[in-house]
Amino acid sequence: MKPIHLAGRGLACSLGLGVEQALTTLRRGGAQASRVTLPGAMAGDYPFHAMPHGQTDWNERARDLVQRVSAEAGAQQIRDGVLLIATSSFDIGAVERGATQMDYQAFADKIAAWLDWTGPVHVVNTACTSSLNALLSAQALLRRGAAADVLILGVELDNRLTLGGFAALQLLSRTASQPFGALRDGLVLGEAVAALRLSTRDAALWRLAGGANVVDGEQPTGASVRAVNEMCVRALADAGATPDGIDLIKVQAAGSPGNDAVEAQGLRAAFTTVPPLVSLKTLIGHTMGASGAAEIALLTGCLEQDIWPAYGYEQDKELGVALAPVIPQRVRRFMATILGFGGSHASVILERGA
Amino acid sequence: MKTFAIQGRCLAAPPDWRERLAAMLGAKPRRIGNWAELGLYGALCCLADAGETALPPDALLMLGSRRGTYVPTGQVLDQMRDDLPMPLMFLQTQPSQLLALLAARMHWRGHAAFIAGGSPQALLELAAVQSGSAGALLGWVDEMDGGSTQWLRLKPCEVGGNEWKPAAAEALFMPDITHLRTAGNILDNTD
Repeated sequence: MKPIHLAGRGLACSLGLGVEQALTTLRRGGAQASRVTLPGAMAGDYPFHAMPHGQTDWNERARDLVQRVSAEAGAQQIRDGVLLIATSSFDIGAVERGATQMDYQAFADKIAAWLDWTGPVHVVNTACTSSLNALLSAQALLRRGAAADVLILGVELDNRLTLGGFAALQLLSRTASQPFGALRDGLVLGEAVAALRLSTRDAALWRLAGGANVVDGEQPTGASVRAVNEMCVRALADAGATPDGIDLIKVQAAGSPGNDAVEAQGLRAAFTTVPPLVSLKTLIGHTMGASGAAEIALLTGCLEQDIWPAYGYEQDKELGVALAPVIPQRVRRFMATILGFGGSHASVILERGA
Repeated sequence: MKTFAIQGRCLAAPPDWRERLAAMLGAKPRRIGNWAELGLYGALCCLADAGETALPPDALLMLGSRRGTYVPTGQVLDQMRDDLPMPLMFLQTQPSQLLALLAARMHWRGHAAFIAGGSPQALLELAAVQSGSAGALLGWVDEMDGGSTQWLRLKPCEVGGNEWKPAAAEALFMPDITHLRTAGNILDNTD
């Protein structure tokens, strides 16, 4: 089986437009979330990780971000490859502004046209796990030789439907996201466009070793312990790895009182000794369908440049796990997990080449 | 290239599909939305046709749609003009909720995904590379034009011979097709 290389990456998020700019912002201490006001008696003011991009026209802004991020990942080299767009909200922000109609295919066609894409295009929507499920589809296409190059494009842009829905479900914090924190009280959402270029031709530092997605209907809006455990077991088996071969886990941990506890319990079930953990959601918010790609793009950059998030809050000791305060010394293989609506639990394993 | 035998199918919902779904579930489904109900009905019928009540753990569940959850999404956008949406209505905007509903109904945990837009043929191509020895449950559900719910229970197989015919796109859900092969070919055993 040919190795699957992470041949390129691109990112636009609240930390900046481009991986390097995001890492530079992180070195300087990160970026403050802005605030969004939602309508209604039960609503109000919520923090939100918006991108530093001034364009006001939704489609123009989206086009610039998609082109910029895809170019950063080297998409222009593989326009006849497979494009997997991962999103939970499509272009609903444009629909809200009356700038377009709801149409899945038109959304896919629009993005393909922005990129002059000539190869097959698929739109993966499994809520928050969309990017990781796109990675699993890409892995299958590459392993079976059905493609030599795949671009994963996570797209999650400003819209009120997602914010309003999460507010209505009382899942949002009104202050800050505190993953695995003792005083965690909810999620902070963010927007991101992220690209991962996978290739069996172009060698690169990081390789996709395997992964798994487990849907469990027990909790349609949250995680289940047994599914987190099963996800880890299946992902390890798919990657040919053992629990003690994982040097770091990028957890979902978004600051949800219930879900963070479930994830911690699931990790304790899957790992005799839980590896060092990292959460990136305090830095960029929960970027929904783009989060898997965005967090992998950011994490690989952090690992390469020895940058580590600072968590300025108390961890919840009752969880039995904690986020690593400093960067682990040698990360050869890491697991990246996202849990989401639809009972979806997804994880991929990336390993550093020699 | 991968070959599947069609072990079960649901090609259309009869006019009384809601009553039939309620009978299958033991109660009328509540607050999951028309699109999800339609999908649930088709998937359960397909499994019954295949003689199964649940998928094996290693099977793949792949769902596609042209318009998916447009109706509840439009309703939520209307609600959002003045207030937050109703929580359960917001959940109905998420197509992946149908995957969870099906998993819960089957007491199943496994790999499932929703692919928006495209075509059933493109969905089949993705399912072919992602599925293993337990095969796949492939569904295409839309509530426009009175609603359609088309499902196939596919199991990988070895088929020899040279009876393969190039197939038109709509042939995927034809009742007389017994086997499918990806790369745009269909084996039609009725000849």
